[in-house]
Amino acid sequence: MIRVGVDVGGTFTDIVLEKSAKYGQQSIFVHKVSSTPADQSIAVVKGIVEICKMASVVPGDVDKVFHGTTVATNMVIERKGAEVGMITTRGFRDILHMARHKRPHNFSLQYDVPWQSKPLVKRRNRIVVDERLMPPTGEVETPLDEAQVRAAAELFKKRGLDAVIICFLFSFLNGAHERRAKAIVDEIMPNAFVCCSSEVVNVIREYERFSTAAMNAYIGPKTSLYLRRLEDRLKQSGINAAVRIMQSNGGISTIENSSVRPVGLLLSGPAGGVIGGRWTGAACKTRNVITIDIGGTSADISVIQNGELRIKNPRDTEVAFLPVLVPMIDIDAIGAGGGSIAYLDPGGAFRVGPRSAGADPGPACYGKGGTEPAVTDAQVVLGRLDPEHFLGGDLKIEPALAHKAVEVHIAKKLGLSVKDAALGILKVVNNNMALAINANSVAKGIDPRNFTLMGFGGAGPLHATALAEMIHAKDVIAPLHPGITAAMGLLLTELQYEFTRSVLIVANNAEANDFADANKILADLKNLASKQLSADGIALSKQRFTAIAECRYVGQGFELRATMPKAPLSKKNVGTVISNFYEAHTQVYGHAFEDQLVEIITLRVVGSAEVDTLKLPNLKKGNRNNPAAAKLYVRETVFDDGKAVKTPRFDRGKLLAGDKITGPALIVQHNSTILVPPKYKAVVMGHGDIVLNRGK
Amino acid sequence: MAKSSKTKSRRRSKIDPISLQVIGGALHSIAEQMGSVLYRMSYSSIIRESQDLGAGLFDVNYNTLCESDSTPMHIGSLPGYLRGIEHTVKLKDWKPGDCILHNHPYFGASHSPDIAVVIPIFFKGELVGFSANTAHHVDIGAATPGLIIDVPDMFAEGMLMNALKLYDQGKRNESVWNYIRNNTRVPSLVMGDLEAQIASAELGVKKFQELLATYGKDTVMQATEQLMDYTESMLRREIDKIPDGDYVAEGFLDDDGRNRDKTLPIKVTVKVRGDGVEVDLTGSSPQVPTAFNVPFEGSTKVACYFAFRALLLDTYTHSEYIPQNEGSFRPVKVTAPKGSIFNPIPPVAAEARFCQIQRVVDLIIKALAPVLPDKCTAGNAATLSFAAYSGVRPSGDYWVFLEVNEAAMGGRPMSDGPDTIEELMRNTRNNPLEDLGMHIPLICDRYECRSDVFPGAGKFRGGQGVIKSQRFLTPGFVTHESDRHKDAPWGVFGGTAGAVGRLETYNSAKPDDVTQNHAKFSGLRVEPGDVVTYVSPSGGGYGDPLDREPSKVLDDVLDDFIDVDHARDVYGVVLKATDDGYNWGLDLAATEKRRAELRR
Repeated sequence: MIRVGVDVGGTFTDIVLEKSAKYGQQSIFVHKVSSTPADQSIAVVKGIVEICKMASVVPGDVDKVFHGTTVATNMVIERKGAEVGMITTRGFRDILHMARHKRPHNFSLQYDVPWQSKPLVKRRNRIVVDERLMPPTGEVETPLDEAQVRAAAELFKKRGLDAVIICFLFSFLNGAHERRAKAIVDEIMPNAFVCCSSEVVNVIREYERFSTAAMNAYIGPKTSLYLRRLEDRLKQSGINAAVRIMQSNGGISTIENSSVRPVGLLLSGPAGGVIGGRWTGAACKTRNVITIDIGGTSADISVIQNGELRIKNPRDTEVAFLPVLVPMIDIDAIGAGGGSIAYLDPGGAFRVGPRSAGADPGPACYGKGGTEPAVTDAQVVLGRLDPEHFLGGDLKIEPALAHKAVEVHIAKKLGLSVKDAALGILKVVNNNMALAINANSVAKGIDPRNFTLMGFGGAGPLHATALAEMIHAKDVIAPLHPGITAAMGLLLTELQYEFTRSVLIVANNAEANDFADANKILADLKNLASKQLSADGIALSKQRFTAIAECRYVGQGFELRATMPKAPLSKKNVGTVISNFYEAHTQVYGHAFEDQLVEIITLRVVGSAEVDTLKLPNLKKGNRNNPAAAKLYVRETVFDDGKAVKTPRFDRGKLLAGDKITGPALIVQHNSTILVPPKYKAVVMGHGDIVLNRGK
Repeated sequence: MAKSSKTKSRRRSKIDPISLQVIGGALHSIAEQMGSVLYRMSYSSIIRESQDLGAGLFDVNYNTLCESDSTPMHIGSLPGYLRGIEHTVKLKDWKPGDCILHNHPYFGASHSPDIAVVIPIFFKGELVGFSANTAHHVDIGAATPGLIIDVPDMFAEGMLMNALKLYDQGKRNESVWNYIRNNTRVPSLVMGDLEAQIASAELGVKKFQELLATYGKDTVMQATEQLMDYTESMLRREIDKIPDGDYVAEGFLDDDGRNRDKTLPIKVTVKVRGDGVEVDLTGSSPQVPTAFNVPFEGSTKVACYFAFRALLLDTYTHSEYIPQNEGSFRPVKVTAPKGSIFNPIPPVAAEARFCQIQRVVDLIIKALAPVLPDKCTAGNAATLSFAAYSGVRPSGDYWVFLEVNEAAMGGRPMSDGPDTIEELMRNTRNNPLEDLGMHIPLICDRYECRSDVFPGAGKFRGGQGVIKSQRFLTPGFVTHESDRHKDAPWGVFGGTAGAVGRLETYNSAKPDDVTQNHAKFSGLRVEPGDVVTYVSPSGGGYGDPLDREPSKVLDDVLDDFIDVDHARDVYGVVLKATDDGYNWGLDLAATEKRRAELRR
């Protein structure tokens, strides 16, 4: 079996190829090519062809390609999606325009309102028709006026729109009007991308449901075009592998399904890294991992608990300020990375980021015209990044420029030494990251003392030990290939589909008919998931299903997830759902009210199937202490206590399993450097991952 | 007895900017977590959906150390509560484990429905500060369900809690708890919301103690002082740029909710002196005999603080985060004569105060517009529609729903005024119509941009207001708190005025038989099929309409914000028919000619 993972980033496209033992020795190859933002598939295919050569593999022998893509996300951020038409209930033309009527800034008069200034569906293309469904049953108060739907579709056709959404109020109770309207639009506009809100996500709350449908249609035509083009290009290069696309929830899906429901791809990019983190954690025998992927301008933070990815509360899932009700891994991004610029603001406050030097001009030490000090410059000043090993020496850096930038912009102004100024830059940026980690962990009921911090992305292992101390993490992992962890993660995912529907049952008072309704919905959702898995060629025996009830106390507005029992819901086992909800409530808020009624708002079924998983070769046993064979040279490095110490560098490529390195030390590899501070011990694990601990 | 650290500030040495940034970030994060626990755990829609709440930490001098980024009305009100509480509970009387409820409008509260929960923070046996929050409660047993307008005095506002000790050294006073439960129409919401407030305040205590343990008390307290100084200096720098002088603006309110033929003047004088500023409200209406008065400490002052932060430290145009603390209040002095609508004398009621303070903010902006043309706005809707819908279920239980209806902003120096949005002192979220429909006997028939008027014209047009119709399915009551049916939002620098609001009622069986109501009224009884339609004001325009980019005028025609005649008559933009499905395109030559004519 030959499997390839391709992760597309803003600057680089990372590729991993796994060759199973059938082709000789089980082995892994990694590669990086420059991304091609105009059409990501060009670099994707180029990278695959090149890595095949490196691995001496014929492109035709590749069995599967796993792809993480930012195509959909970028389309939204840059507002380069489709021209979308909307057919909606009379009286409610502006649900997407008003959003939740809250402005994005409290203390501002000049603020922008993205959903009004850059709408996914322009007001002129939002057309109202007569129809009215009534709560709580979904009965029809006003029948659908089909002639009005027809007229709207004709107008959209004349306007040359390429996507249409149908969004009716209360359609989560009764989808008939939406489905009928869709059929009419399909008939008049056979080539358009058409979807209705209750099909994309069948849940209560009109703005969020409509917004999700609008997002799906906005990115629909171009995403499916991209995926088809990718398939074509692969075929032209002789790659006939099955292609699987990374989803925001950590599962993978087929090209066909991703083309119909592209809204599931919005976090396709960063999801791979988190999955890579979970897997590396398992390889290092820990199921509780906090991952931080540190890039040039931002850092992505996520938490893995008991080996499970954390899924974001649907109330918080948004992209570019627009809500999208699809399951997403809880990944929090903050504007802090190697390119973050340090400066003093007019009031004299010491700031690092979110402004970034980006790739161009980049940090001052790149010598490409940047003069302000970036985080990377601080690392260079402190002797933590050696010029000859920066990106394997591919990129020339000039320490003198880093020194000067820190001196002019920070040290002189604050009356500090350049060294102390550089340490200050790191302290502030690390603190920003640590607070973001806390917001994603402690604030959500997670105690970091039981967690391992895994820092990846090129700069991750430079920050990881300091961050771990600030958040009181147990220990630190530096994965085998910090720079391409996300691409590795792609080879670890499983097929996964989720289906949801709103129910609104008060669990404590539910009667036989309520349970019957719920069980019927669960069966329907399970069928939908099973159908999808079968379509992907998964045998029934390999399909697994999990049912979740999203609950809240009667009267609350935010739901939490409670796992459901395997057996059909009944008076007997509904207590399990209720107590699972209490548990979730206690974890998130620190309290649960055991005397209050619990309402089930949404049922969710997750269908999944394990696919082949990555097998990394085992390293030979070394079990050496500070092995001389891996030692490169000794140079001065400043650690967080401000002391400059003669610090040996080790070549990561020459370390073997069981080798131990005692800090102070730097472990260097092609695109990353691991900082081992004094008193720390680094231990090489079986596959080459490194675990760092404060020496005991 | 607990020691207080009140007397020994200002003797520590300055701490370095790096530690300062670290501690500042931690304080901000604590306030955010407090706010987040409060709104996510709470029951009533006014807190959980609308986020009508505030939370933060305070030192023993009642300085705000940090506050959650929530509804601006609450930000800056808590110090008033704490000072109000001190009339009853002195600093030395606080014990670990105490918890106080407070909402008295004449002892610092913002208004009586905003109940504060205050818990003292002790560190190594010493009182070091307070963790506190406020949240708007759906019903505190006032004369009419939810909201009040025309009531005789503050005793009709409902339960007034003046430093009421709910917990005494960790032990809850069950009598007090039961008293509250029995004196609200919706105990199921109010008691759950109070629990959420307590959980939030307890979190603040714990987090602040952890911070003190990590960095040491002296360092943290020194950092808080420097952070306040920093915020203060940032605001003073901006005030200093405004030329010294007295800047005046005036407007008027419709009426007090009882005396319908008497409008109420508001006069704002902004006195800029160096890097400080005073807002003087002398010349505004005397206090009124209804609940339409403004608590001075908890609301009037807070509005003025908000105005200067939003104008001068606008978080959209400033990239730097400026800590939310006492420092932003210090440069602003507020004066309102005793006995005026902005500083009433008890026992007159002072619950319905939002419309008035919105106008204070808007008039501060208007007064300063000539000297801050790139920071101001045209006239905003600057009002509030606060509706209390209620009824009794067959079970005998009350249902009460408080709805905040949005309005619109005026045009701005670089952009149009946002349509249908929460402006100025408020920033709540609306309630999903589907969620309401599933839980209360009220159904929404219309919710979109109003279509009966054009928004104020200008180089940047005013925002369009909202129209929202709620239909009762069972009998009930409505109280509506609003204003601005008479004094339209103004245009600036050549822009035209926006439009006033309306409040209509009719029965859905006779939709043409419409009653036009006053903007505020109390306890209207309604029958099944009765519809209440709120139409908000629209914002004024900024700059000369003839300077508006023609393509934006075309956009507004295509998007039905204006029509072809208005484009030609007011904007001087001439459109020609097209056959692309959109019907209209720009006629640039004719536009140029038309604009030249109109400029003449």
